[in-house]
Amino acid sequence: MSNLRINFSKWMKTHFCGEYECLRGRATPGDEDAFPGLRLKWEREMGTAGWIGIGWPTEYGGKGASLDEIVGFNEEYACHGGPGRAGHIGETLLAPTIIAFGTEQQKARYLPGIKAGTEFWCQGYSEPNAGSDLSNIKTKARLENNQWVISGQKIWTSLAMDSDYIFVLARADEGSKGRHGLVFLLVQLNQPGIKIRPIKQMSGTSEFNEVFFDEAVCSHDDIIGDVGDGWKIAMALLGFERGASTLGQQMTFADEFRQIVDLAKSNGSAKNPLIRQRIAKSYAGLKIMRFTALRTLEAAEKGETTKEGYISKIFWSSWHRDLGELAMDVMGNEAEILVNGEYSKLQKLFLFSRSDTIYGGTNQIQRNIIAERALEMPKEPRGGGTVREG
Amino acid sequence: MVYPFNSDHEMIREALSGFLQDWYENGKGPERIYKSGKAFDREAWSGFSHDLGMVGVAISEDFGGSGLGDLGRVVVMEELGSSLCAIPFLTTGGQVVDIISKIATKQFKKEYLPKIARGEIQGVFSSGHVGKEKKCINSPNADTADFILISRLNDKLIEVVFLDASAPGLKINSKKTMDPTRSFCDVDWSQVSDTDFLLIGTVELDFFEGIISQSQIALAAECIGGAQKCLDMTLEYASQRVQFGRSIASFQAIKHRCADMFVLIEAARSAVYAAAVATDSEKTEAVLIAKANATEAYFKVAGDAIQLHGGIGFTWEYPLHLFFKRARANRTMFGVLSEDYKLLADNIFGDKL
Repeated sequence: MSNLRINFSKWMKTHFCGEYECLRGRATPGDEDAFPGLRLKWEREMGTAGWIGIGWPTEYGGKGASLDEIVGFNEEYACHGGPGRAGHIGETLLAPTIIAFGTEQQKARYLPGIKAGTEFWCQGYSEPNAGSDLSNIKTKARLENNQWVISGQKIWTSLAMDSDYIFVLARADEGSKGRHGLVFLLVQLNQPGIKIRPIKQMSGTSEFNEVFFDEAVCSHDDIIGDVGDGWKIAMALLGFERGASTLGQQMTFADEFRQIVDLAKSNGSAKNPLIRQRIAKSYAGLKIMRFTALRTLEAAEKGETTKEGYISKIFWSSWHRDLGELAMDVMGNEAEILVNGEYSKLQKLFLFSRSDTIYGGTNQIQRNIIAERALEMPKEPRGGGTVREG
Repeated sequence: MVYPFNSDHEMIREALSGFLQDWYENGKGPERIYKSGKAFDREAWSGFSHDLGMVGVAISEDFGGSGLGDLGRVVVMEELGSSLCAIPFLTTGGQVVDIISKIATKQFKKEYLPKIARGEIQGVFSSGHVGKEKKCINSPNADTADFILISRLNDKLIEVVFLDASAPGLKINSKKTMDPTRSFCDVDWSQVSDTDFLLIGTVELDFFEGIISQSQIALAAECIGGAQKCLDMTLEYASQRVQFGRSIASFQAIKHRCADMFVLIEAARSAVYAAAVATDSEKTEAVLIAKANATEAYFKVAGDAIQLHGGIGFTWEYPLHLFFKRARANRTMFGVLSEDYKLLADNIFGDKL
């Protein structure tokens, strides 16, 4: 076991207690409205102790932790029942992007806030008409008096209500189409030109939001890359998503799985042979997710490009949706009952997991991506303007 | 470590895949085995064992092997799976090697392992310690073996004994199988004289769990090799087949099914590689996961491959049905799927039904 892991374990023991006790195992997707204030405080606690950005290079305040150490760190966090991380978009998605493509000024301005757990980010990609067809971005950005002026609408923005900043994919070249002419901008949310409206989901909660831009502004210096680089940067960022952060998510899954096993034991459904088979199968899937993530990460560390990473999204989303169904079957008729009039954790899991196979690239889009990139099959034909836009 | 291969493994993979591809392309593929009615390709075996020296991939270097263990065997089985080469590596290079390596005397190992490594002799393991009769039902490849390792009960002990296949009284009845590239035989040693058995060692019951576990990894590796081949054939076919004025590979219905095949294969591959390098404490579970997923994936992918090939996939001449039949056979080899999941569930719940 690495020293880093041992130290982190000790730290969790002495710090994840007291007022934070109520966060244990909470704030997973579908439960994102749990204790918002306390969760942000917890992030600061982590940040102050230097536990955010451990994988970043030391010159940017990280610990330059190795893959093994990061995996161990995530496992330790989950073992102690740490809550869903409010800062993961900044830490695991935006920060690596800034480190790879950002200017020195941007690094100095934005990395410390992420690292300290004081500044939170959300992702402004999807739009009402740019869902699966993400490059159909309509949000406009124009340069005026050394400022980018942004107008348009983003949707399905996770955790926007708890965030300070948003990274925005916008169209800078009027008349440009698709992947061309896009910019990647870093924008403060708290300003007159931005309005956030939560979307109430079938889970009853609101992880997702609509974000409206009406002449919102950011500095000219807050563009990553150049005009026209937006698509490349946006995709590179998603590449980081498939990296180490999936291992943390798997820990949450493991926790949910364990809860279902415990329930099956206590309510007797563990005696049902079919339920047992499904639980075993689910467990196998959980392990396979981990093995596959490690394969990808190890290959990447050796500088090799491999293809198995393409299965990651469709595999975990389908697995998680099935887990939700399994949870309800384990609960039996009790699945229907709202205790205290509210959805329980497993009921939320069941309902929220219907979004897993949609957001971040639907399962159908994932199959296109696998077919076209991993299997090199012919690309889907692009529309020729025969469909009227609504 | 889940992406565990080093240059030794890559070398084996390259040599073997080159050899098998030539084999396949020179019309010596599994179709020949169908015609011959014998599930043993002697010529391929000679090339594989003598020319390539692959039988001993998991035999220790002290006894003439390459010492590459379970992981080396995974590479070999993946390649054999993709070619359906009808050679008894799984039995000889697998169970027999594992049993001898674990329990035989140094002298016995010195005498037999190098010969096995060179392909001069090959054997099978026939389990006889479970039932009361002196026979083993459905022992793979026994009809072409030079010797048979038999497990038998002696009071409360389990003995493993060596028997020359030419021993008087030994009856080996080879059955016709749906997958004719692997034979199943009933081995009956009830009429063999006691003096013909050579005691190799005495073991506990759980010894065989370890042996079967290693074979399950090898079998799972064969499955991902076979499944990958089925997907490759499907991609090739779909790219060439034109209907409605376009390659059928451009239809989403085809693309999505191929994508699903890829997901199944890569998931199983992760499980197999992880099982091959798992530590002792994680081994049992990792192997069950690998075996269950790989056998399931192979069968599904082979079936999908037939579907996506359309009519041609259903014909006797086209080789897909050979993979489909092998995939079917593997589903019930070394335990059935529901049993794998039952054992996993017992582990998870810490009890048994």
